[in-house]
Amino acid sequence: MPKSFLLPALLLFAGATGLEAQTDYYARVGVIGASKLMRDVIIDDISVRPSIAPMLALGASLPIGPGYRAGLEATFASGSYHQEEDGVESDLGTLRTGSLLLGFDGPIVPSLRWRVGAGAILYWPSEDAGIFLQGGTTKFLAGFGVDYRRPVMTKWDLMASARYDYHRFTTEELERRGFSQNQPVSRVSLSVGLARGLR
Amino acid sequence: MSSLSRHVTIALAGAVALACGDIGAPVRNDFYEWRLIVPTAGGPDTVHFHWSREDLPVRVWVAADEAPDLPAHVQRAIDTWESAYLYGEFRGELVSDSNTADVIVRGVPAPLKAAARTTRLPSALAPECGGATDLDITPDLSQLRLPMRVYVDPRVSLDTPGLADCLALTSIHEMGHAIGIFAHSANDADIMFTDPQVDLPSARDLGTAEVLYHLDPTIEAVGP
Repeated sequence: MPKSFLLPALLLFAGATGLEAQTDYYARVGVIGASKLMRDVIIDDISVRPSIAPMLALGASLPIGPGYRAGLEATFASGSYHQEEDGVESDLGTLRTGSLLLGFDGPIVPSLRWRVGAGAILYWPSEDAGIFLQGGTTKFLAGFGVDYRRPVMTKWDLMASARYDYHRFTTEELERRGFSQNQPVSRVSLSVGLARGLR
Repeated sequence: MSSLSRHVTIALAGAVALACGDIGAPVRNDFYEWRLIVPTAGGPDTVHFHWSREDLPVRVWVAADEAPDLPAHVQRAIDTWESAYLYGEFRGELVSDSNTADVIVRGVPAPLKAAARTTRLPSALAPECGGATDLDITPDLSQLRLPMRVYVDPRVSLDTPGLADCLALTSIHEMGHAIGIFAHSANDADIMFTDPQVDLPSARDLGTAEVLYHLDPTIEAVGP
């Protein structure tokens, strides 16, 4: 994973040691689905789409005002992706994605909070082939979501989250072959986990 | 509407259009005739073949000691053609057992006379080396019996300058036949020209290889 992803996360966690009492940490697991990554026409229509994949989300946030917080959320997902042509699907291999969003969150009602964020998504294929012949790609990402939290232990909350994010996809190989513009990609995830809650 | 409002409206409309527009695919119209034209009693028939997804990876056996670095040249040829495809339409691998191979590559001259039922695609008339691909197609033109047999042979002493380059481009040319380009290009800028003048497939070669995998073949591979 590139330094651009790791550095802000490490800085946040390093800086947070002095603010431990105010820092909120969480980890969730869930599933993520995405719309098609691209469309093509060679005789028939062709589309490429990731399968629904398991995901891991890690995050931390700090207060920035009464009821409002700012933080980083990183997600990692790994699953297959496939091509569909004339109603027939063909597996194209494994596609891993990592994302890092700087976000803000605030209250909606007790136990429910909104979240918005922006950052980057990294596509990391298992093999440099096909649409990823020149390697993976990193794109700007924006998203929003809601978090539901319910205390389950003295210091820990059960956390359930829904997220939507949006980015535009293309690769160096697609550009080299003359594909113009890029493909809008929407992703939706549902996940549950634990958060070290603030009381 | 004020000038400012008009500009803002146009900018917003442009932003919305950019945000919603799909990726634009290039037009694939630069390819040549790749099918084998076969004379039949009813007139010429066309034979179109490509490997099916179930056949992949295509197993290629190469005689290791008949021509210098032939396995490396053939591996490079496989890699070169694989890179033509965005969706994994063709994949090949070298195998050690010739009995299970879909394609057999020899570093010797093709037999003077191909077997009676075999169709030969002769090519690569460079002085340093030659090439040929033999296809065993059933008389009813419905099946391609495997293995395909490919010949890439040196025609000069092994230390002759230019031999390695000739073997490399001839391997790519013959593997082009093995993936399904059964005809020769009429353009000498293409590696599938009868007597190849270039080292690598042209955009037309790659476009032809790409398009042929998206049409239903008229014959299927059987065996080995």
